[in-house]
Amino acid sequence: MRNLIAFLRRFQIFLIFASLQVISLVLYVQFLSFPRSQYLTTASNVTAKILTWENDVTKHFDLSKNNYALQRENIRLRERLPEFMYKLSAQKVKIQDTVFQQQYTYIPGMVINSSVTRRNNYFTLNIGSKQGVQPNMGVFSDKGVVGIVHNVSEHYCVVKSVLTKDINIDVIIEPIHLAGILKWDGHDPRRGSIDGISNDLRIKKWSRVVTRGGSGIFPKGIPVGKVERIESIEGEPLWNVVVRYSEDYRTLQRVYVVKNVLIEEQHELEGQIPPDEEEDLLR
Amino acid sequence: MNNLTKNIIRFFVFVLLQTLIFNQLEIGYGFHLMIHPLFIMLLPFEMGVISLMGLAFLMGIIIDIFSNTYGLHASSLVMMAYFRPIVFKFYGPREGYDPLKEPNVFDMGNRWFTFVFGILLLTHHLWFFLIEIFQFNQLFFILQKTIFSAVPSFLICLLLQSFLIKKSKTK
Repeated sequence: MRNLIAFLRRFQIFLIFASLQVISLVLYVQFLSFPRSQYLTTASNVTAKILTWENDVTKHFDLSKNNYALQRENIRLRERLPEFMYKLSAQKVKIQDTVFQQQYTYIPGMVINSSVTRRNNYFTLNIGSKQGVQPNMGVFSDKGVVGIVHNVSEHYCVVKSVLTKDINIDVIIEPIHLAGILKWDGHDPRRGSIDGISNDLRIKKWSRVVTRGGSGIFPKGIPVGKVERIESIEGEPLWNVVVRYSEDYRTLQRVYVVKNVLIEEQHELEGQIPPDEEEDLLR
Repeated sequence: MNNLTKNIIRFFVFVLLQTLIFNQLEIGYGFHLMIHPLFIMLLPFEMGVISLMGLAFLMGIIIDIFSNTYGLHASSLVMMAYFRPIVFKFYGPREGYDPLKEPNVFDMGNRWFTFVFGILLLTHHLWFFLIEIFQFNQLFFILQKTIFSAVPSFLICLLLQSFLIKKSKTK
């Protein structure tokens, strides 16, 4: 016993050092995959408040550009209103739609804190559970996909962006509907890559990449980017498809959170699949 | 102003500078400015390693909360705090350090500061990117990021000292 105490005394400094390292590394590894509480993230109230003050100053820096983008989106939507169209037939027609039911609703939000240069980049939004945001909802902007909600507090949420290690959004390359998984290698915030595309398939350069909408997180057809380069991977029968993102995440401000009305039904149905196949289907 | 209040104020100044200004500067190409290690460097000479590591851990966790890194900054700051006394001993004068002086560039001279802070900052950055990327086949990328971030961080730390320290000395 005395020896033990003497030992502990002798290596006291190193032991404290090691335990502090272990605490911080365990926190780091755990929180990357399973966020247990909101207090260690920017979704917590105090940090989000301070970041909101900061954002109140800096959000005006890109004001004219952002206004222009919103205006453009407005025009695109207004063009589809019936008042803006020329009537070809004089008769009034009222359509009671029984074929389509709305599946996705959208919650508008604003990015108050973001990073693009780290290995795993998270964006903080100024909307939270009060506005109906829940973890695992999709987030996109008018130009492209942004990420998946990771952690929610009352008034704020943290989004795991497409610029993280295992974001794994399922996407398709457009004209031939090739399905793959979106990844990011941590080098360039303007480019990502698609995994799992067999190298006997022909892919055209600059073909559009959109979301597949398979897991119910995103609706189908939200733009991701364009195919910039196709490289072969050594020793594997797969292409490494480099995608140039259509959204510039360095200046991102206005985003929409996707709420899927039917997600519970889908999960319930998918939960009935025997457990060993479950891993392939749940994202 | 006594030493304790000075360091408490510095603590908050460095945390706010890092989180609200330097974390928001996204230059790309692997540049990642981190100036908060300067706080650990500027703590008094006679401070023990354990309290150093405690402070480093606290500061790291606060910065982690602001940048969603959950312990990455804390780990690398504790690493730096652990090596601080070792490097100080190695480069120290034979009769020991003058407790009235502070380990900044004005009191200790350019040469000493460049060596000691350079080594500590490199340790900090190397550990930070090693843990963040954690893929050994990307060793070149880790080293590139370390050098690209450590050199500008070092220069900004030199500049910051003339803002933060000279003023507090004249008061």
